[in-house]
Amino acid sequence: MLWSEATRSAGPAVLLAGYGLAAAFAAAELAILALALNPNVNDDYRAYYIDKTTTCLNRDTVGRYTPGRTVSFRSNSAREAIPMMVCGWDGPVADGTHSLGETSRLRLSLPSLPGDVLLATLEMAAVIRPPQLSQLVVISANGVRLHQAMLSGPAPTTVTFAIPRAAVPDTGILEMEFDYPDGIAQSPAASKIYNRSIKLLSFRLDAL
Amino acid sequence: MPPARVEADLALEDAARANSGIRLMVIAVVAVPLLFALSGLAIRYAAFVSLSADPSLTAYARALCRWDCKWYVDLSEQGYERFPIPNHNNIGRWGFFPLYPMLVAAIRSVLPFPTIVIATMASVACGYASCLVAWPLLEKNVRAYVLYCAFLLSGPFSFYFATFMTEPLFVLVTSCLFLALKRSNYLAAGLSCALLSATRLVGVLAVFAIVIRMFEEHRQMGGSAIAFPRWLLSRPDLIIAILISPAGLFAYTLFLHVTVGDGFAFAHVQRAFGRVAGNPLLFVWDGLSYHPNASWLPTAPQWSAMAAIAGLALAGVLAVRRQYGAALFCALALILPLTTNLASMVRYVVGLAPLTMLTASLLSTSRLTFAAAVIALPVACYFMTIAWLGDYLALV
Repeated sequence: MLWSEATRSAGPAVLLAGYGLAAAFAAAELAILALALNPNVNDDYRAYYIDKTTTCLNRDTVGRYTPGRTVSFRSNSAREAIPMMVCGWDGPVADGTHSLGETSRLRLSLPSLPGDVLLATLEMAAVIRPPQLSQLVVISANGVRLHQAMLSGPAPTTVTFAIPRAAVPDTGILEMEFDYPDGIAQSPAASKIYNRSIKLLSFRLDAL
Repeated sequence: MPPARVEADLALEDAARANSGIRLMVIAVVAVPLLFALSGLAIRYAAFVSLSADPSLTAYARALCRWDCKWYVDLSEQGYERFPIPNHNNIGRWGFFPLYPMLVAAIRSVLPFPTIVIATMASVACGYASCLVAWPLLEKNVRAYVLYCAFLLSGPFSFYFATFMTEPLFVLVTSCLFLALKRSNYLAAGLSCALLSATRLVGVLAVFAIVIRMFEEHRQMGGSAIAFPRWLLSRPDLIIAILISPAGLFAYTLFLHVTVGDGFAFAHVQRAFGRVAGNPLLFVWDGLSYHPNASWLPTAPQWSAMAAIAGLALAGVLAVRRQYGAALFCALALILPLTTNLASMVRYVVGLAPLTMLTASLLSTSRLTFAAAVIALPVACYFMTIAWLGDYLALV
């Protein structure tokens, strides 16, 4: 005899046990639902996966860098660049490291704090798709907005700007953020995490 | 010979004939899917050999493992990641449900073969078992049964049932669920739904089919629609069957909350796959209208959009045939993924057992369509396997 048939002709004790089991299932499922509605995650996870406020998922990585050296972001010589790339990059490939999403980040550890000002020199190229022929890049360091560049055409452009001492914390960790307000979406319905904006070819800092 | 003796002999003869008829039928029901499993293996292998220099069976199993299959192999071997994901990756395996990888891992613990070989064997076994379960669901219609077995095991999409995808288990458990419903065994249906919800997210939607079947039974017993909730509440066995249905999904949610901190990580990780919520109609329209080159062949998005339309149309036919539970389950199981994009739509349609059984039944109504389908399915198997091995996008 099936259990369902048993309960149909069951006495109060079996019915009560059935309701008890059903209540236990309901309570367990409600409890799990309550847990799932209150995720216990860090800010990076929340921003990327849940709130979707960034396309750049922070990673625990930092590249050692001594000013005065040019770091290549092309695939044939990007060994030094790879640890610097926190998020929002795709590659490196032959023509540089491509940005991915609305924001990209570089993080580098300086051996000593700069005296006054650092001069940043970046070689970048715009990703274009006619009719869009240019890309605006807004560059910040440790939350301080430093420079904005308009890259036009597919040819690489050298961008130079100063990083004041105040933008580098005492830890010597320089966090550079690249925002792309004009990123090119794969398609109108595609996710912004696939936006394309620039190719970074090289990076250099000089103490002034 | 006395007349009574003659009658007894005739009765015995009839019984023996009936018994041998039943035995023959049982042999046929068992043998048909076996033959198609073997012919499917031969056809897919022939397609593989036409492209590969290494003819070994292990190389064949590895070659068929494409797209999501690789995720399932990793999941079965390494389990789920915590956060942060190792290797600076944004895409955790959380979007892939655990039941089938767990099953393959369990078999691997006792058999000394690579994961993909075990998964291939398990998938073919699931496909074979799905055919056996389909026999009563197809009302013991021999032609429909033959077509269904041919489609699943030797058909154009049989590679889904011969590699590490969730479809083999999903189809098997879906068939078990609808067989349980056919027999009004709600507890078995609820348990099947629990397994289904641990196999793929949309599996949980089968709970609607269970509730609809309960409602139909209530109406058949003369109950009014308005009295249904009270009747349901008077039956704890039915309440348990409903509440147990999402148990697989809830168990996985709890696991993710404990390990990742986010019980809905399976949904949230879709962002890293680039899935964006949108209007399903627009996605279908965009897919249909995507034809950038001059070729007369439909593009991959067009195939996906046509698969979605065909799947929804078949769900409509199920509804017309008053199979409301199956119709709603299939329609929801297609519309839910359609709210993000058209990806994997062909596979999702093929993985809905009520739709493929309906197609087999429809094609079996005429001898001509039956004969054409029996020939066309294995022929298509060869060419579609080649397309699959070539990473054709619509088959993702």
